[in-house]
Amino acid sequence: MTEIQLSVNNLQKTFHPGLFEASIEVLKGLSFEVEKGEIFGFLGPNGAGKTTTIKAITELIYPDAGEILICGLPHTSLDAKRRLGFMTESPYFYRHLTGREFLQFCGELLYVDPSVLGEKISRVLVEVGMERRADQKMGTFSKGMLQRVALAQALLGDPELLILDEPLSGLDPIGRRDVRDIILTRAAAGTTVFFSSHIIPDVEMICDRVAIIVDGVVRTIGAVSELVSGVAATYEATFVGAAPSELKTPLEGQHVGSGASWVRVSTENLDRLNRELAGLGAHVVSLNPVRASLEDLLMRHYEETGS
Amino acid sequence: MRATRAIAANTFREAIRDRILYLFVGFAVVMVLSSKLFGMLTVGDEGKIVKDIGLASMQFFSMLIAVMMSMILVSREIDNRTVFNILAKPVRRWQFLLGKYLGLAMIIGANLVLITFVLIITVFIVTGELDLMLAFAGIMTMLEMLVLAAFATLFAVLTRPILGSLMTLAVYVVGHLSADLWLLTRQLPGAFTKAVISVVYYLLPNLERFNFRTEVVHDLEIPVAAVGWTVVYAMAFVALVLVLANLRFRTRDLK
Amino acid sequence: MKRTIGTLAIVATLIGVAVVSEVRLGAIPRPDPLGRELLYLPSPEILKILSLGNPGLAADVLYLWSIQYYSFFEPHERFLYLETIFNLITDLDPLYADAYRIGALIMQIQTSGDQEELKKAVARIFDKGIRNLPKNWQLAEAAAWDFFIRFKDRKIATHYAAIAARMPDAPARIKRMVGVWRDEDSAWTVEDSIDYWRRALDDAEDEWDRVMCMGQLYDAIVARDRHTLEPLLREFRSRFGFCPREWDDLIRAGALSQAPVDLFGDPYGIGSENCDLVAYKRIKDQ
Repeated sequence: MTEIQLSVNNLQKTFHPGLFEASIEVLKGLSFEVEKGEIFGFLGPNGAGKTTTIKAITELIYPDAGEILICGLPHTSLDAKRRLGFMTESPYFYRHLTGREFLQFCGELLYVDPSVLGEKISRVLVEVGMERRADQKMGTFSKGMLQRVALAQALLGDPELLILDEPLSGLDPIGRRDVRDIILTRAAAGTTVFFSSHIIPDVEMICDRVAIIVDGVVRTIGAVSELVSGVAATYEATFVGAAPSELKTPLEGQHVGSGASWVRVSTENLDRLNRELAGLGAHVVSLNPVRASLEDLLMRHYEETGS
Repeated sequence: MRATRAIAANTFREAIRDRILYLFVGFAVVMVLSSKLFGMLTVGDEGKIVKDIGLASMQFFSMLIAVMMSMILVSREIDNRTVFNILAKPVRRWQFLLGKYLGLAMIIGANLVLITFVLIITVFIVTGELDLMLAFAGIMTMLEMLVLAAFATLFAVLTRPILGSLMTLAVYVVGHLSADLWLLTRQLPGAFTKAVISVVYYLLPNLERFNFRTEVVHDLEIPVAAVGWTVVYAMAFVALVLVLANLRFRTRDLK
Repeated sequence: MKRTIGTLAIVATLIGVAVVSEVRLGAIPRPDPLGRELLYLPSPEILKILSLGNPGLAADVLYLWSIQYYSFFEPHERFLYLETIFNLITDLDPLYADAYRIGALIMQIQTSGDQEELKKAVARIFDKGIRNLPKNWQLAEAAAWDFFIRFKDRKIATHYAAIAARMPDAPARIKRMVGVWRDEDSAWTVEDSIDYWRRALDDAEDEWDRVMCMGQLYDAIVARDRHTLEPLLREFRSRFGFCPREWDDLIRAGALSQAPVDLFGDPYGIGSENCDLVAYKRIKDQ
């Protein structure tokens, strides 16, 4: 029986902006579970409720209904929060503090033992690659540097559960690689990682499981490979001797080049395409299956809900 | 308590490095020093003018610092996302508020100590006496600022930074006028009006209670009861306002 | 829910403490700041600058403030402080008629302290007002009455009444006042008085005025006639041993050429008891 590090059950939240504005129902009964040691991705379009969910978990907002457990403990308990490492999207920090002073401050808030705090700070600074600039004022940091410090303070307390809101956004490719590496390393050491992101390739690359949230509920949840295997694959055919416009088979994509043309069809139309091409006397140069991607899955969900 | 202390220390550190603070403190010091010039324009007791201007500057600039710093240190933090970082950690919301308030109080206190020191020195230069009652006036001003800072914290929780600062300023003005308004309205007819005004009067802090400047400047005796009750009054208001602030803050969604 | 109730209970308690301490603080007597501060108010020039272009407003504020705090004064020499503050107000706004009037009025209410100094202070305020408001006869008239009633100094009252009377648009009654008081004080000769009242009668604006002037003129003429005739009566008495019964007695004695008549042509009488002139004033029938 795998341990559940994060359990969210039937989370509901409606915002009431003001007297004259309509209420906004953001979370409509959201549920999911994250197992210990896994890297769990949280995907969805803007406004789906990703950040709201994360804020509910970290008790920055108060849900109208639902239950949240962190490491089996109620999410409001101090004990639960001690096991949590959280990184916000677009971090803002204190301009006049150095990176190290800031981490010192965070360490105090985490009740880290003062005798080991200095050493822990040095360790996370190395981990995020900021050990040389730690003593500069954060007002001078670039966005990438700020994000690294943000990650550092999330890692500082050796959390059992890491919650990261868009950890890879705004980073250059090197930065993104570094952060991905940190996530993978921590996960390998037993930390559970839960993060939300827009960058689908990254999610595909490192997540064990993914939840797709659209319009305030979880639409699909499961391992990446499982999810995409359910999506109908497509095939791409490159050929000469005929033009795509002559084909009656429904096409998902087409392109006419100087020599050859290619078309894309769904699996179910593959046979029909082949017969048609043969009937037209076209010579098929290549025929390749296209692996379905998470993006396709996402798009499908968006279309289904009209997002 | 460790969290509260850490937040207070962090707030203080942040403030002390903010250059805008030095601007206000600088103005205050300049005012006190230039009071000597004003003193030369008067016939008679030069020391009195110096003390009057010095004490007035002390109060006025402390107020400006309280309003300004509360906007920078408390309002802005609640309004933007630096607060997320803190509250996602094992820190209770009241610890955050209290820590912020104490940090704010410390920075106001530091400023007051500096200005009082400059004032005592200036008076010493002008009159040759070391008037320690000026320090007492400084302490009373500190009490007043503690009350004002509490209101600033409350408004930081309730509304946006600039509006909150304006409201704090309003509390300062009304707090000083409330005694006068009370007198004026006693002339007004109508028991209902009087009752309403009484309620408003008691609920607003009467900041003139912290004003012992006359006694200090003219070297008069200060009744111990007055000082005692003033301290009680200040503490009651500070506690009251901070409790109200927490009442709102602990249910507020941070968007 | 329980937490909220607990918090509200704490809030209520704290409000209670705050109210109690405020009440207790209110009961403690504190030195009156205004009395001492007044002597050290900044000069009008500086206050003008501080008022940032609103000297009239500054005057108003000071005025309201002084009115409010008036009743809380303790010191004996209140009028000195009042004088300082009203001087300040009127320096800021020299045309502020109320400030002079009410200032003087408030000052007069003092019953303690050196009354001579008080009179001088009141006079100073009025003089300043009259100087700055040369057409404000109301102020001068107020001065006249204040000195007449409060200080019972008719000489100074008449002085201010005369000033008022000279101002354009001053109503006739003020001019009469001057005349009446001068008569009562014998502050001028009877001839001057008769002259004055004859002219006043010519100027009379309405029936009441005319009647009043007539009365005063009558009295003045009676006074003059008394001055001339009573010595004659007394001389007759000392010569003949009895008071003349009628004017013919005097005519026969050669003291008079004809019976004296009053303003209206009616003969005077002779009072047998005191041997003096008796006048029968019947203004209303004329």
